[in-house]
Amino acid sequence: MSQFRFTALTISLLLGAKSAAWAQTDTTTEEDFSQYANVGFADKGSKRFCSPKIEGLSPAKLISIGYDYQAPYTVNAGALASSIAGNDLFGAESADVRRTDGLRLACNIPVVSKNNLVWQMGANYWNTQYRYEDPANLVNPVNQSLSQFGLRTAGVNTTLFKPLNQKEFILFQGSADLSGTYRLSMQPARFLKYSAAVIYGRRPSEKKQWGVGVARTYRVGELNYIPVVLYNATDARNKWGVEMLFPARAHVRYAVNPRNLLFAGFELEGQSYRLWNNPVSASSAQMDLRSEELEIRRGEIRARLVYECSLKNFVWMSLQAGYRLNYRYDVDRLVDGEEIYRAFGILRDDPYAVTNSLGNPFYVNLSFNLVSP
Amino acid sequence: MFKKISLFLAVALIGFSQLSFEQQADPGDRLLGVWEPSNGRARVKIEKIGTKYYGKIVWLIEPIDPETKLPKVDKNNPDPALKSAPLKGYRMLKDFVYSGKDTWSEGTIYDPLNGSTYSSTIKMKDANTLDIRGYIGVQALGRTDVWKRLVVQTAPKK
Repeated sequence: MSQFRFTALTISLLLGAKSAAWAQTDTTTEEDFSQYANVGFADKGSKRFCSPKIEGLSPAKLISIGYDYQAPYTVNAGALASSIAGNDLFGAESADVRRTDGLRLACNIPVVSKNNLVWQMGANYWNTQYRYEDPANLVNPVNQSLSQFGLRTAGVNTTLFKPLNQKEFILFQGSADLSGTYRLSMQPARFLKYSAAVIYGRRPSEKKQWGVGVARTYRVGELNYIPVVLYNATDARNKWGVEMLFPARAHVRYAVNPRNLLFAGFELEGQSYRLWNNPVSASSAQMDLRSEELEIRRGEIRARLVYECSLKNFVWMSLQAGYRLNYRYDVDRLVDGEEIYRAFGILRDDPYAVTNSLGNPFYVNLSFNLVSP
Repeated sequence: MFKKISLFLAVALIGFSQLSFEQQADPGDRLLGVWEPSNGRARVKIEKIGTKYYGKIVWLIEPIDPETKLPKVDKNNPDPALKSAPLKGYRMLKDFVYSGKDTWSEGTIYDPLNGSTYSSTIKMKDANTLDIRGYIGVQALGRTDVWKRLVVQTAPKK
């Protein structure tokens, strides 16, 4: 029996010693790293591609839940004449807005995320409520619509990043948005507005990428085709940088550290909103807005400071503060159901159905975001 | 005499177990080797410790920090104790176990650029290509990088 125990002990000790040798594989041993400088691909046909990101770039937002607030300002709504004979003319009206606020929700989910192709699909929902000082006595249909329904945008978007090699890439972004004064019952899909941009870019280093392209956009309110310039760069110390997709947005970035970022710059924000619902009016005069084919062309510049930080792991907070500067808030009347493409007055010079002006209030925007790896 | 026979049997058993181990190599060990992420900025050596797989940085295209002029350290790590750890030799892949079907799971991947650690799975597309996915919570919320196998070329002897 004792001999059997000896045999078992010998075997177990030898096996144990072998296991211990496995477990200790390189935890503390010094290694000659210089040998890894001289390497080649095992598969000779392998190609390197440039990444969609550069070092120091602020993280992309996968899911975003935000709240937008604008301080008091005045809306000077212009006169509106109906296109239908017999309907009344609605006079100009100046009205004070106590605040404008609403939820902003967005998500961007990677569908394909590989080194030779990145494809994301996203959705967004923005709700903007206009809180007038004296909503019961509004007579202008624009003011009445904004007060009673506010503005909503619901849309889907897609982003495609296709690297051509280590230095060049193609970027495509497209979106379809339904924007208007609809509430729970949405307006028909024929009022969707389509935007798109295609950019050819280069990424000369890990800290810089640039590109040029064209965009079909509603950012100034009405449809336009414009050139766009992409430029993202970070300095050698990863402290200062630029994030720009001009003219949509441009910011200077300062990194306190990779989890605390400060920005100064602007965003050009806008959309075209269908005046879909008929507001309830206290006055006898009423207009059937649905048959008027009217759309608000909203375009504004948001000059701002932004602070973004990681609250915990991948949950980031973004706080914006600045001024919402009105660029356009006019109402256009469609011609035979078609938008007027003015090309900044070069192709056509049709007057707007209503010319409005808005004050330029202070605004803040707070959002919580799940950011991308 | 019996002790001699016992010792002989023990040595024979060990030899047999080693032979058997080599003949039936762990399919998970195909992951071992030196790999390059798609951006070509680093090289990572994957090793096995116990039953798990780990990957450490063995080469950096820019090994020197332009700010300090010293070898790069893990300065973005949220753990203050690790901020001075050298990046070269740092284990950025941890705790992967082979779960069959050319897949290694239950691991994590660390991004030294922002100090974040993500859940991760590795899928071997072919003997020389890995799809490494880092994700947050669910795999849908993530990004895949393609890594290529490298072969270390020995310098010709003079």
